[in-house]
Amino acid sequence: MNFSSKLSPKPEAALLIVGHGSTENPDSSTPYFDHAAEIRKRGLFAEVHCCFWKEEPSMREALYMIDAEEVYIVPDFISEGYFTRDVIPRELELTGPTTQVYGKTLHYCDPVGIHPSMTSLILQRTEEVAPEVPPEESTLFIVGHGTGLNKNSTKAIRDQVELIQTLPENRFASVQDTYMEEAPLISEWDQLAETPNVIVVPFFIADGLHSYQDIPVMLGFEKEEGKAASQKEVFRRNPYQLRDKTLYYSAAIGAEPLMADVILDQIATFDAQHVAHTETH
Amino acid sequence: MSLTQKLTEALAGGLQQIGQIKILTDHDLAPFVLVHLDDEDADFSSLEAHLTPEKAREIGLYTPDGVYRFTKGEMSLSGGWLLLLQSPGEVRQALDLFYPASLGLWAAWKDGSVRIQNLRDKLGRQTGMYRHAANVSDVGAQELIQSVCGPANKCVKKILWQLDENSPLDDSEASRFNGIVDNSAESNAIPLVCQEACNYFVAQARKKSKEEFEAKA
Repeated sequence: MNFSSKLSPKPEAALLIVGHGSTENPDSSTPYFDHAAEIRKRGLFAEVHCCFWKEEPSMREALYMIDAEEVYIVPDFISEGYFTRDVIPRELELTGPTTQVYGKTLHYCDPVGIHPSMTSLILQRTEEVAPEVPPEESTLFIVGHGTGLNKNSTKAIRDQVELIQTLPENRFASVQDTYMEEAPLISEWDQLAETPNVIVVPFFIADGLHSYQDIPVMLGFEKEEGKAASQKEVFRRNPYQLRDKTLYYSAAIGAEPLMADVILDQIATFDAQHVAHTETH
Repeated sequence: MSLTQKLTEALAGGLQQIGQIKILTDHDLAPFVLVHLDDEDADFSSLEAHLTPEKAREIGLYTPDGVYRFTKGEMSLSGGWLLLLQSPGEVRQALDLFYPASLGLWAAWKDGSVRIQNLRDKLGRQTGMYRHAANVSDVGAQELIQSVCGPANKCVKKILWQLDENSPLDDSEASRFNGIVDNSAESNAIPLVCQEACNYFVAQARKKSKEEFEAKA
């Protein structure tokens, strides 16, 4: 699949990728560094940096690392919500799409998870985990956390499901949104799927407890007392023969190296919506 | 002047150390050799050599006991490695992974442009579950500084902030520490500076405030 962002080089600007991070799981921030390394390799920006809520550098520290006066800030988050609407603007002192602060021009892009190009990424992931499995005989489940606290996290997944369903090239018998903590529950996957094959893609940025352990337990191929980060083995044992069906389980969507393209697409979208508009006035 | 230029200038002026890292600029192995302070006198052929600055993140991820180092100012960097780098730009990239933003914070501190946020302002801007951290008492906050910050607690950053504008930190090893490991000369080292309490401190302040509330009830 040709999946390369068309963003023009910005040799004077910096890219700042914002992630959540963790004080417990070192794997949590790995995808952000991977995405940064991939974009750095392409030489599109003068500088590429990461910053975090739970790790270092913090958002407040991050600007000290940057020489460039123009900075694109991309939340490497799966949905809009408390972090993208409250925490990141507060910590980086953002007042709108573009903010002038401390001698810098900061452009605040939407989170990666809500960009339409996530759709191609999900489809590519299904081809990787279940090659040669006929989509006509398969159900695709996109799994999120699901919680009453943030309706937007389920919206991002429902939007992706709708986008895939409306694609002319979509051949899946069924594409469904499912959640860990609210209906439709991923634990009921065998009842929700009418096809012999099932492909499950966790809609998270990083692999961690949810994708290593919690979802595998809900799917029924790991035991609850299993080792927490019994690691990526869970992704390597495909397919699983369970509950009279053949199950293919993917790593978290954010761990996909091509997420770098979604970050770049989100910047291109920002430019189209805001920068071009500003320059014409 | 870019941070890379400032670093180049500092290295030419004798800079050799940041945190637990020694930077050698006169070694045959590479134009810039980074090594753990404890390995400075070791036989370099016995150390594992790496050639890319990205390796710094992996080296700094765990303590020698295998514990995850989520605060990088922690004095628990593993040794046994060499980083052989080719340019000041690569050194900058490696340092930003070993000690995130420390180079930029040092440069800003030196030229007086660092924006220091005192603890009460930092706690006051928290929202969500962390908003309760602001209820910690002054006494509780001072105790926390001595139980969370400073070399005794393995954090080797120089604290620039106070409780508030009128309340300096109580005198302690943590409040006095200059951000330089091993008492090395200030002229040859980049101190690690802390311009506002870290989010780990905020989480501890939230816990402390809860304990104080429960003790009163």
